[in-house]
Amino acid sequence: MEYAQAVPLKYAINPDECIYLQKGKCGNCKDVCPADAIDYEQKEIRKTINVGSIILSSGFTPFDPSKFDNYQYAMYPNVVTSMEFERILSASGPTHGHVLTRPKSSKKKDAENVKTPKKIAWLQCVGSRDMNRCDNAHCSSVCCMYAIKEAVIAKEHVGDDLDCTIFFMDMRTHGKDFERYYDAAREKHGIRFERSRIHTITEVPGTKDLSVRYANEKGELRNEVFDMIVLSIGLESSKQNIELANKLGLDLTPQNFCKTSTFEPVATSREGIFVCGAFQGPKDIPQSVVDASAAAEAAGAILAQARNTLTRSPEVVPETNVIGERPRIGVFVCRCGSNIAGIVDVLAVAEYASKLPYVEFSTDNLYACSQDTQDNMVQLIKEKNLNRIVVAACTPKTHEPLFQETLLNSGLNKYLFEMANIRNHDSWVHKNNPELATKKAKDLVRSAVSKVALAAPLAEAELEVNQTAMVIGGGISGITTAKSLAMQGFRTHLIERSGQLGGQALNLYHTSSNEDVQEKLSAMIQDIERNKKITIHLNTELSSVEGFVGNFKTTLSSKKKKKVLEHGVAVIATGAVPFQPDEYCFGQDSRIITSLDLDKKFMTNDPMLQDLVNAVFIQCVGSREPDRPYCSRVCCTHSVHNALELKKRNPKMNVYILYRDIRTYGEREILYKEARAAGVIFIRYSVNQKPGVVLSDGKILVTATDHVLGRLVEIEADLLTLASSIVPYKDEKLAKFFKVPMNDDGFFVERHAKLGPVEFATAGVFLCGLAHYPKPIDESIAQGQAAASRAVTLLSQKTIHTSGTVAKVNPAICSSCGVCLSICPYSAPSYLDEKARMFRGKAQINPVLCKGCGLCVASCRSGALHLQGFDNDQIFSQIYALSEAG
Amino acid sequence: MSDWEPKIVSFLCNWCSYGAADLTGVSRMQYPPNIRIVRIPCTGRMSPKFALAALREGADAVWVSG
Repeated sequence: MEYAQAVPLKYAINPDECIYLQKGKCGNCKDVCPADAIDYEQKEIRKTINVGSIILSSGFTPFDPSKFDNYQYAMYPNVVTSMEFERILSASGPTHGHVLTRPKSSKKKDAENVKTPKKIAWLQCVGSRDMNRCDNAHCSSVCCMYAIKEAVIAKEHVGDDLDCTIFFMDMRTHGKDFERYYDAAREKHGIRFERSRIHTITEVPGTKDLSVRYANEKGELRNEVFDMIVLSIGLESSKQNIELANKLGLDLTPQNFCKTSTFEPVATSREGIFVCGAFQGPKDIPQSVVDASAAAEAAGAILAQARNTLTRSPEVVPETNVIGERPRIGVFVCRCGSNIAGIVDVLAVAEYASKLPYVEFSTDNLYACSQDTQDNMVQLIKEKNLNRIVVAACTPKTHEPLFQETLLNSGLNKYLFEMANIRNHDSWVHKNNPELATKKAKDLVRSAVSKVALAAPLAEAELEVNQTAMVIGGGISGITTAKSLAMQGFRTHLIERSGQLGGQALNLYHTSSNEDVQEKLSAMIQDIERNKKITIHLNTELSSVEGFVGNFKTTLSSKKKKKVLEHGVAVIATGAVPFQPDEYCFGQDSRIITSLDLDKKFMTNDPMLQDLVNAVFIQCVGSREPDRPYCSRVCCTHSVHNALELKKRNPKMNVYILYRDIRTYGEREILYKEARAAGVIFIRYSVNQKPGVVLSDGKILVTATDHVLGRLVEIEADLLTLASSIVPYKDEKLAKFFKVPMNDDGFFVERHAKLGPVEFATAGVFLCGLAHYPKPIDESIAQGQAAASRAVTLLSQKTIHTSGTVAKVNPAICSSCGVCLSICPYSAPSYLDEKARMFRGKAQINPVLCKGCGLCVASCRSGALHLQGFDNDQIFSQIYALSEAG
Repeated sequence: MSDWEPKIVSFLCNWCSYGAADLTGVSRMQYPPNIRIVRIPCTGRMSPKFALAALREGADAVWVSG
């Protein structure tokens, strides 16, 4: 088993090493396996599958630093890779999460000398941005951020006095909320950042400590000793990836990543084959998840007509009516291998459970979650006629759905179920106290049994999903989403507040890979204008939104009239705007412009571009400042690309870029390299010492301290381009309409920063484009496709079910006080209509809107409200059951 | 010192503290086995009556977290 997180988490025999398979002897594992799971007869099977599209998500391989003799990774035990350090930090890793030195040494003497480090250094760009010692010219995009994260977590594990230093070239924290993390690491956690590339690591003689020699930013030479050095290794394509691409006839980039285009970011060079994740280029988790959804969308779009033609529906077991029956409870106590049974006396717990009231049957299982136990459970439920089930095992947060499925398969309502958490809350946290842990397990089981005895079968509200989608925002990501949804076969309304589609892309000249944006954009617009499934509403805004997932009712207002639109899902793609700079004499001279203004000059072939002698760019204008503590992600690449464009038009021109960190992440790094080769001069400045701009006698004078010379330089600029930040609309009205959150900067907050990057916590509402965070066109398009993909998972179901654990009113007791109406955050309670046949004016709960929090239940003065599945009598019985232990 | 040990009944929100208690286990952190956890869907569900009932039934302390 290569990973502790492997799915399925099962051992496999390596046939090359197995003595039995090689020589026919041994067979020990078959003898000792209690589950009788060993089968030596299994053979590799070759299958042929006919498919309509293929998605490649074959990932990357971490760079192997052992070829660098100057870092002595293979020789020095305290030089580790960042991947190894991840494992050191992990609770399931070799040191159980304790940060210790010499993890690689197997010598007994060394093992005794293992110590907790006091000083750790991270060396960035190992195997990235390096053409001297390896061939990886690209930036691996993720290493700066993971190094900071590792340093912060290491300090959490070891203590605040751990000294952490990160040696870097440019700090690339260009992701959402990453800059804040970087700021906090520096200012709050005291992590030291040294801008220096370390040439050599040497071992201090007689110890295993490591010495590095470097020049700091002031140019002073330093010698420093560390207990441990982490090499932040980059991402590269594996040999297998390259072979696969060759076999499939796919084009690769010079860096050996799968070649895609800006406007089709997940399509490979061969029709019908798509790519996502790090095989497309180095990227982090959120972007990989976005790509994955986008690839699913692209692969599905060409197969939309065949949707559901190969689906097999599972056989639904009719539900047994248990209302009025005496509870007959079955208790299954899981050993979880030795995770529980190693501490808790599982047999004693099962024995104890069998004597509890209403318990008909109890047993222990090696793994309650394994498929054979599940099948067995179905049999037992039927055989023993059980009508309530308790599983004492791990946490319901991960395993409840699995066991509920088992209940459904045996004809029981899935809410006649309870879990006792005797692993995460017991055996794992009381490993030194088996006796009391066993007692606690018994208490938890008794509590669960008393609760489940009072459980009633619950109904889930079924609701129809309106098959229409609404996309708000007609920029490049909104257009992409609308097109994708239409291609998937769904009627889509595209709402745009201005009189024209295209959004900010209308201002852009070329992409960083030299594609003409206007040409591609007008093709995209024509495409959706012609699409009969798409209705475009220009000059239109939203004036109200009612309803919920599957059944939204939105009022659209344009100059002339108001119109109500019914739709099942909504996609927010409202974009962002360029920041209007308030420094560097912006607005005082027509030669001081923003990056978008420069693009306009390129588009119109402005003659002023011909005669320039000195062109200057200033980066981070409005970004990474106290008012906007985020990186705008696109500006470095944009300026570097525009600098190259200026050089192309007039190679004699002097082009200067004044920057803080150059963030040409991923394969964009190649552009940075090209720019330096073309003679673009890069001058670094710090936020405390910004460049000066003065207008004097009709001249633009830019001053900055050159970081190489350490001296003030003055440039007479004929053109000064300010790379101004991207600012969101902070559309609070829209946020309220859909009950979706915004962060402090005004960007919308997705469901999960890593795993739910294109949807909101509010069901049926999705997100893409600049409204989420600044991003270039390829990422906007991928996110647009991804939003469509997530929306289709909802739309393709004709009906959806809501949870059964919702509040319910007993109208006979309700006093119509209205507390529930005012307190509910989800607007689920309402008064029964005056014209209702019975209980007029009493409260009622809309089960579709109810999230089952129980706020109204706890607040109800009349005791008229009940939270099904967590009702008063159930919780009281749990409390009473806990006290019975004495 | 007597060998008296308190009994603590805790009511944990399913979405945060209950998950945190799960994570405590995953991280193999150790704490005394005096706590019994009751999972509630949200601390909004918490009623003063639950705390009083626990105390009346012999708990020495009640802990609500969410």
